[in-house]
Amino acid sequence: MIQLENVSKSYLQNGIWFPPVLAKLNLTVTEGEFLCVLGPSGCGKTTLLNLIAGFVSPSEGRVLFQGKEIRGPGPDRGVVFQDATLFPWLTVMQNVGFGLRIRGMKGRLFKETTIGFLETMGLAEHAEKFPYALSGGMRQRVAIARVLALEPKVLLMDEPFSALDANTRERLQDELLKVWMLHRRTIVYITHSVEETAYLADRVVVFGGTDAGLVADLPVSLKRPRQRNDNEFIAMKDHLRKCLAEQPCCIQPQTLTGERNQ
Amino acid sequence: MSSYRSAIDKCMKKGLQSIFPFVIILVVWAASAQIVFLLRGVAFPTPWQTFARLLELLGGDKLSNISIYVHIGSSLKRWLVGFGIAAFLGVAYGLLAGRIQWVEKATARIPQMLLGIPGLAWIPVAILLFGIGEPATIFMIAVSAFSPIAINVLAGIKNIDVHFIRAARMMGAGNNTLFLRVLIPAALPSILNGLRIGLGTGWRVLVAAEMIVGTGTGLGYSIIQARWTLDYTASFVCILVICMIGLLFEQVFLKQLEKRTIERWTLTAEAE
Repeated sequence: MIQLENVSKSYLQNGIWFPPVLAKLNLTVTEGEFLCVLGPSGCGKTTLLNLIAGFVSPSEGRVLFQGKEIRGPGPDRGVVFQDATLFPWLTVMQNVGFGLRIRGMKGRLFKETTIGFLETMGLAEHAEKFPYALSGGMRQRVAIARVLALEPKVLLMDEPFSALDANTRERLQDELLKVWMLHRRTIVYITHSVEETAYLADRVVVFGGTDAGLVADLPVSLKRPRQRNDNEFIAMKDHLRKCLAEQPCCIQPQTLTGERNQ
Repeated sequence: MSSYRSAIDKCMKKGLQSIFPFVIILVVWAASAQIVFLLRGVAFPTPWQTFARLLELLGGDKLSNISIYVHIGSSLKRWLVGFGIAAFLGVAYGLLAGRIQWVEKATARIPQMLLGIPGLAWIPVAILLFGIGEPATIFMIAVSAFSPIAINVLAGIKNIDVHFIRAARMMGAGNNTLFLRVLIPAALPSILNGLRIGLGTGWRVLVAAEMIVGTGTGLGYSIIQARWTLDYTASFVCILVICMIGLLFEQVFLKQLEKRTIERWTLTAEAE
């Protein structure tokens, strides 16, 4: 469904080309798969996601989505950012319905549809509130509802729960799995947490930074629903932790200010 | 009980703090009046004389043969017309330059340069362009209020979090939707801030402009006229009225609006 072919990405900043963040990367994501991309911070995981989302374009190589080269962002690839990035001037309902309104949905249908997606995330009674009145966990729920409303073919998630407290994080992981089981959408999930990977993923690729590229690509074949205290689960976590420990930690990011807009 | 008391204390403290500046001004003013009178033998209007004259003028006494309400009215009218022109051009320019990069590159220095010119320095330009009269005053207000508005609107558009833009694009927003439903609301706090500064700048320039290119009405014009008729107390009344109107608009009206927006726009405070 998604193919990266020999993808390299370097950033130009103040007239200087920085060394590539990604070099000669190959990766294929199959339909319906829950793929976790695990790696130390600064290794280019977010760049990988931004390439698939279409926020940045590759310096070399091609990124294909359903056989076609990606030209820019679009509602077929919904993105959940690390921060919820809700529009603070819109109510929860208007935020969730932003994409629907762009498609021209109005009136009762608009209201019923947005409320439906809010109910999926357990937020129906907060529809009229503004984002500033919500907690971090609730905001991230709205962000997920907003993306589900687009009915995308792929969900791209960039460490979506890393800023939340442990309890909220685990609950949101369960809710995400529930939604995923229901619709079986393809998910590409960026994370630095082995626990999260072992709990969520069908398949995990371990990222080792620019030079190393993808250092491991392994299935996570634990039965669902998974138990966090299960022996197999703990063994999986240990295995992933070892993979991660072989990588250099705290890689220096290659750019100073991140990516350019698109 | 004790928290109830401390709430009252807090209220009292806040109340005292907000009247404190006025008390200081009154004391300095009254003291200056006394000292000037003692040292130079000149009748310097005291606060009390000024307030008494204010009541007289509000009660219908004429100033330069015209009611003070007419002076206030014509000043307000010039101000709002000049500010309206500046607001329209400033917001339009800021939005345009914020969206189209070559426009920004070619012109962004211009409002910065204009900002360096004090309002009164426009007098010869205004007179050459329009002669003495209403349009010259309005021109001076508009040209001085334009820069702060333009600069703030442009900065507001340029500083929008790239994630807002990405989120909108990801949800399928085209250029128009992005502009109208994301960029403008996201920049609203900066836009309001620019308008507030522009409004204040315009007001100060207005009074100065009326003193020089004035046309028989207006608060600035009255200050100068009252000087010819040796009615210094009336001059002081005009200064007082100018100060009050400026304060009312800038602090009470626009600042509240700005505060509301910023409150909602910033998501730092979490409601847990």
